[in-house]
Parts: sequence; structure tokens; C-alpha cells
Amino acid sequence: MHEFSMTTQIVNYVLEEAKKHNAKRVDMVHLIIGKLTFLGLEQVKFAYEMLVKNTIMEGSKLHIEEKDGVVRCSNCGYEGDLKYEDDPVYHVSSPTLNCPKCGGTVNIMGGKECTIKSIRLVA
Amino acid sequence: MVTQMKEIVKAEEGEVFDIELEADLLKANKKLAKENKELLRKHGVAAIDIMGSIGAGKTSLIEKLVQLLKGKYRIAAFKGDLTTTIDAELIARHGVEVVPINTGKECHLDANLVRKALQKIDLNNLDLLFIENVGNLICPAEFPLGSEKRAVVISVTEGPYMVMKHPFIFMDADVAVINKVDLAQAMKVNVKKLETDVERINPNAKVAVTNCRSGEGVDKVVEALDL
Repeated sequence: MHEFSMTTQIVNYVLEEAKKHNAKRVDMVHLIIGKLTFLGLEQVKFAYEMLVKNTIMEGSKLHIEEKDGVVRCSNCGYEGDLKYEDDPVYHVSSPTLNCPKCGGTVNIMGGKECTIKSIRLVA
Repeated sequence: MVTQMKEIVKAEEGEVFDIELEADLLKANKKLAKENKELLRKHGVAAIDIMGSIGAGKTSLIEKLVQLLKGKYRIAAFKGDLTTTIDAELIARHGVEVVPINTGKECHLDANLVRKALQKIDLNNLDLLFIENVGNLICPAEFPLGSEKRAVVISVTEGPYMVMKHPFIFMDADVAVINKVDLAQAMKVNVKKLETDVERINPNAKVAVTNCRSGEGVDKVVEALDL
């Protein structure tokens, strides 16, 4: 939902880091975005293209690594992806907090990341 | 002993190098939310997020909760809205302190705004704080504020699909409130179905069905919130 402001944050952060290292250009930015965040990847890419224009990031590759949601069950110890269930009336799939293994309730442990993992600079 | 400084190591022009950053962009809000929570806990204040759709009845719910509980607890409220203090005034007329938070253009409260509001009240003379978020079933789920519990309010006038369409905010909720039950028949909305939708997505969330105008069902919300 806040792709533009998030991408602005990303671009500003990277420009700061590049400045610290006296880089002439930024070649690549590696982002990790969890599937449970509300960020549309297409919009992030679109915002990125617009925001890097006329900066040393122009022309850089935005590599987005998507992370799956991870839940953990305190009942049986299951750790893995969420269980998606079909609505019996509308036949629409939605994520749930039910443990896929034992039906207990899980906690979300991962999938909500929005992290700049690394950047590639050119001196 | 003379030490010899070595030549400065510099990247050669055109040299390519990777910097590992592991920079968490959501860290700032999470950190402030944690600080808010610690501050509230230190003063023994239970803060409860009231989130929900536009016009669902968040303010009405808080008004009724205040009426029911002000004999038992010292209460204050924060009211988030883009602009105006209309809702804040509605709550304040019940005799509790209200801090209106105008977000300007932001569609949700964030921990920073809540932190600023916390500075405006006397936490030493408070037991319970309701934090009413901007009407929005999407963004508030991503911005923890530092509360103990999160309640989400929807109403039957929004139709039958609100829970299914917004699973993530319900996954984040401790209590789900389905309001305007008196209009369910007119809207041809099956309230039981909405309840089971919540149970399917988040079996831990407690569900209360209310008519916040009359007060029907608000006692169940009090129970669900352990108040």
C-alpha cells in the first residue's frame, strides 16, 4: 500500500550509503520483501524507476527477493508456510492462522520483512 | 618505535563492490512501538487499538465502552483522523480526556504520532487508553503502535465480504467486532457467516456482535477485551 513512500525510503538510504563509500554509481540493490507485507512488487519496481532518475542509482538493477510467510505452532512445533483455506460459500482462498499439521493456532514468525539486504556499488 | 602508516586502500576507479546492509526499513516504527508499549506498561496503563473500516462504528464503540467502564477505570482516548476533531469531541463529551491526532495525509496512525500523544497525557493517573485508528482495514495492520490488544470493527452495512477481503488485519486482531447488527436483515447480511469467517482466519480472535448505537453486545466486547 505504501510502495511509493517505502521506495523513497529505500532510494534515500541507498544514496546515503553510496555517498559514504564515495561511489560513482549504484549497480544493484537487493531487497527482501516478505509475502505478508502490503507491498505490491510491481508498484515498488515502478516507483523505483521513477525515483532513481537523475541520481547515481539510475540504470541500477532492483533485485527483489520474495520471502514466504513463516508461521510456528506452539502446539506441535510446525514451522513453515501458512495454511490457506477455501471459503465454503464463495470458494475464495484466504490465509489463516491454523496449523497445517495439527490444527492448533500459529504465530507469524516471518514474511513481514522489508529489508535492503545488500547493494552493489561502483567506485 | 616508529610505526609506518600503510598507504590508504582505496577502491580503484570502476571497481565494483558489494555492501551487505541488512537494513530493516520497518525498524523505526517497530522500535517506537516497543518504546510506547514499555512506557505504558511502566505506568500500568492498558492501551487498546480500535481499528476498523470507515464508518464501521469505532467511535460509537469507544463512546459506549467509556460509558460502561468509566466508573471502573480512569480512561483516556487518542483519536486518529486525517483532519477535524469531530470524533474526538464525541468521545470527550463523556468526560474523558481525548487527544485528537490529525495525520494530515497519512492513512493510518504510526508509533511516532502515538508517542507524541503520550506526552500530552498524565500516565500516572490513567488505567485504560483507547487508541482509535483512522478508518482503514489495510494499513494499520502493518504499523504496531505499542498497544496491549488490537480490536477490529466492521459493520454489516459494508456487505458480507469484509472479513474475507481483509484477512491480514483480522490475523492481527485480538477481538473482532461486527457492528450495526440491527441492520443485518435490511442488508441481507449473514452475521453468523462473518463470525465464522473471522474464526476461520484467526481462531484466537474473540468475536462480538454489537449495535453500538443502542449498546447491545458491548458488554461482550468488554468481556472479550478482559476489562
